Amino acid sequence: MSAKQKNNLWGWLFVLPSFAVLLVFIAFPIVRSFYLSLTDYNVLKPPSFVGFKNYVSAFKDPFVQASFRNTFQYVLTTVPIQTILSMIVAAIIAMRFQNRYGRFVKGCMFIPVISSSVLVGTLFTLLFDSTKGVVNSAISLVGIAPVNWLGQKSTALLTVCIATIWKNVGYFLVIFYAGIMDIPMSYYEAAEVDGASKLQQFFSITLPCLKPITYLVVTLGIIWSFQAFDMVYAMTQGGPGKSTYTMVYTIYNAAFREYRMGYACTVALVLFVFILVVNNIQKLFLGRE
Amino acid sequence: MKDVDRSTPHLIGQGALVLLLAIMAVLAFFPFLYMFLLSFTNSDSLYLHFRDITLDLHNYRAVFDRINFATPLKNSMLVAVVTCLLNCVLCAMAAYGIEKKRFAGSKAVFAIYLATLAVPGQVTMIPVFLMMRDLGLMNSYLALVLPSCDAFGVFLIKQFMGSVPDALLEAADIDGAGEVYKFSRIVVPLIMPALVSLTVFTFISSWNNFLWPLVICTDSSMHTLTVALSLLKGRFETNYGLVMAGSTMTFMFPFVLYICLQKQFVEGIALSGIKG
Repeated sequence: MSAKQKNNLWGWLFVLPSFAVLLVFIAFPIVRSFYLSLTDYNVLKPPSFVGFKNYVSAFKDPFVQASFRNTFQYVLTTVPIQTILSMIVAAIIAMRFQNRYGRFVKGCMFIPVISSSVLVGTLFTLLFDSTKGVVNSAISLVGIAPVNWLGQKSTALLTVCIATIWKNVGYFLVIFYAGIMDIPMSYYEAAEVDGASKLQQFFSITLPCLKPITYLVVTLGIIWSFQAFDMVYAMTQGGPGKSTYTMVYTIYNAAFREYRMGYACTVALVLFVFILVVNNIQKLFLGRE
Repeated sequence: MKDVDRSTPHLIGQGALVLLLAIMAVLAFFPFLYMFLLSFTNSDSLYLHFRDITLDLHNYRAVFDRINFATPLKNSMLVAVVTCLLNCVLCAMAAYGIEKKRFAGSKAVFAIYLATLAVPGQVTMIPVFLMMRDLGLMNSYLALVLPSCDAFGVFLIKQFMGSVPDALLEAADIDGAGEVYKFSRIVVPLIMPALVSLTVFTFISSWNNFLWPLVICTDSSMHTLTVALSLLKGRFETNYGLVMAGSTMTFMFPFVLYICLQKQFVEGIALSGIKG
């Protein structure tokens, strides 16, 4: 065996274990998912071919429609707030508090990131409890009547959004902070010489330089919204009514409570297409890297 | 930027910013403090009266005695540790093969790795579930561990492989070192920082994973902590002290690790941004 052949063989040997895992657990399942989406499969009887029936029912399904509406609202609430908030805090820490205090604040704000969404959901269910929750006690101090946060359609999704924002801000803060640190100091020094205020520096240097990172943060925020499940499961189970149903919650219900595997695969593939689209919109704006 | 501005408006502005950051830090930390303190209360009240806080661990004892939290604790631990080990070994091997062997087809292989990064777990979940069920692997550690290996680690470590000098590997070749020796004795020590980041990231994802353990492990002896917590919350809805003791239990490990390895945590998790 030549040296080159030997090299190729060893290369493949090193790659093989993880490659096999990817083929078995990602590549093959996508193909099977597509096949199953064209069938009715209730686990007990073998799958029966039904063509695109599942796709037609998916777009007529009130739960899928509710999921779309909710995801849309969820994105519109969480993404702008968590993006702007984390960017501002990152800028304040980078410009004024590159010291122990800044590190402490960053460290505290990162703690929600390492906790599980189930835990965050559990905590926020108690904090936003309708009768005895801390939040209602706090707002009653300024004379606002108690709100039945998770128990009514108008505020349930908002409460889930608040919990999500609370969990995500620390993560995006770290990303923005790293981005600001990558901006060359000389830009700021030049602006300083020209007599630009800190605020002007933020708008004319920091903000434009953070454009790629902002796209990343927004894209991640949207994709995470499409994938939301754990928090909803822990807080509302999709209710009241369908007011907090999400795509993944619909998939979970269809597959593991109603055993409509084919239909669940269909909704999952629709979700996949949405995520691919969101991913590629970002690439369209930034060019491929 | 080290301007020493001591004018009054500047100091007021500085004070306002200090206060703003303090509020952010308190908002981020308060729910955990609340959780911790409430787990030491006896009442089923959500109002936190300091006179209710007792220093006895009855809620923690109840979590272990009445609902056997020891089992999910053990499961989560085992699954997280094995997943970390497996992920590190497989990803380091693949990254080494692709980056240093540059074998015929390695570019195409890496392109496939990258493509799989865009696939969310929820899309592959149902076929993988059916496969596990057909193989009789439901309620098994294998089913909990195997699907958590993904291409992100390969991507992460491949970036880092550049810091392993080719000359070093060639010198080892001349000395007659075998491939396994080169990989385990030369490459692995040099890519340690990347492996630490990957371990931190994998540990947290595995520990916090919820949907997959929820569907694949229906037997209570195989539940992980996140699943056990969601059941605890459902069963003892108004026994707040108990639920908060369970919550504190699930949070303790990541939190202590975070305090000890803060830098690696922030780096490891921030790196996962590439994953989206």
